[in-house]
Amino acid sequence: MSEMGKIVGAFTASHSPGITAWPDRIDQRQRVAVYSAYEEARRRIEELQPDAVVAVSVEHFTNFHLGNLPAFAVATGDSYLGPVTPEMGQFLNVEQHQYPGHAGLATHLYEFALEQEFDPTLVEGGLAFDENFCVPLKLLDPESRYPLVPVIVNGVNPPWPTPKRCYNFGQMIRRAVEAQSAAQRVVVLGTGGLSHRVGTPEAGQINTDFDRDFLERLESGDADRLIDYQREEIDAAGNGAHEIRTWLVAAGAAGTPFEVLTYEPVPEWLTGTSVAAARM
Amino acid sequence: MYSLHKLLWDIRRDQSVEASYKTNPDVVLDEYGIDGDWRGWMKGLDFKSMYEHGINPYLLYFCALQLEVDRAAYYAQIRGEKEG
Repeated sequence: MSEMGKIVGAFTASHSPGITAWPDRIDQRQRVAVYSAYEEARRRIEELQPDAVVAVSVEHFTNFHLGNLPAFAVATGDSYLGPVTPEMGQFLNVEQHQYPGHAGLATHLYEFALEQEFDPTLVEGGLAFDENFCVPLKLLDPESRYPLVPVIVNGVNPPWPTPKRCYNFGQMIRRAVEAQSAAQRVVVLGTGGLSHRVGTPEAGQINTDFDRDFLERLESGDADRLIDYQREEIDAAGNGAHEIRTWLVAAGAAGTPFEVLTYEPVPEWLTGTSVAAARM
Repeated sequence: MYSLHKLLWDIRRDQSVEASYKTNPDVVLDEYGIDGDWRGWMKGLDFKSMYEHGINPYLLYFCALQLEVDRAAYYAQIRGEKEG
């Protein structure tokens, strides 16, 4: 009998377009800190030799719109196009290509979620990536070797799923992985955040107090504190800060404290930029 | 509000909608059934008013870029730094 699956690592990272699009525009000290952290995460993921990566992010109205906006979605395709257009590829400095999917694990995750009374939307095909996955994966899996199970969380339009629900969704992902054997070594990657603002008058403001407090909670491993956010508290860090939900999903899947590999408020990227790894 | 959200999304996603809107916005606004203040704000690319009346800022910003509104001009307008 095959060994059952296991989550062998969990990582979280920002996905600001500037990370791949204009790395040279930022302060050299910050550049070294940020890219060293992504490289450390890439190295650790490679060492873990994952059979699949459950990649959790928001999507920025690339696939969904306000006529169809799931709180959670699980994609079960064999492959995914990213970036969605050649123009976006040029903008992000990411060559447009197909990313491999792990349809077996993804289908199991979708079915398991329903059995566990979570009700994600099914995306059997056609999901395309924007900066959500293309930016961090260029640094974490530059050859697109790891088969992906994309999970989308609404982080772009209120109302959003609660922080508790996101954490619990991550716990469900862990149980799902442990209840199958198609992918034995699984890494979870959450991307987005931290504080930033898109399209609003306050764009460019980075809320370092919010970011540092969030990362301290993440490092503590105290789930109750990690999910103890009201909407207004996250609003204070910008509409883009609601993407921390992807980190909460990853934290729920890991069930352990995290190590923050870097945190830099990068004004040129308009984003509190961070990379973290679960202490597993 | 949904019709306007849909138009903003379609302009970004569908080159034919974008081209039609640039050529003859009234025809497209009619097709989407957008009237009243919303129509005036959209036709005038008054992103500030649309934002203040609840339109999603991601969709506003992406649509503005698609319509070749300069990024700095978008933010200046939405901050009320100059007339849109």
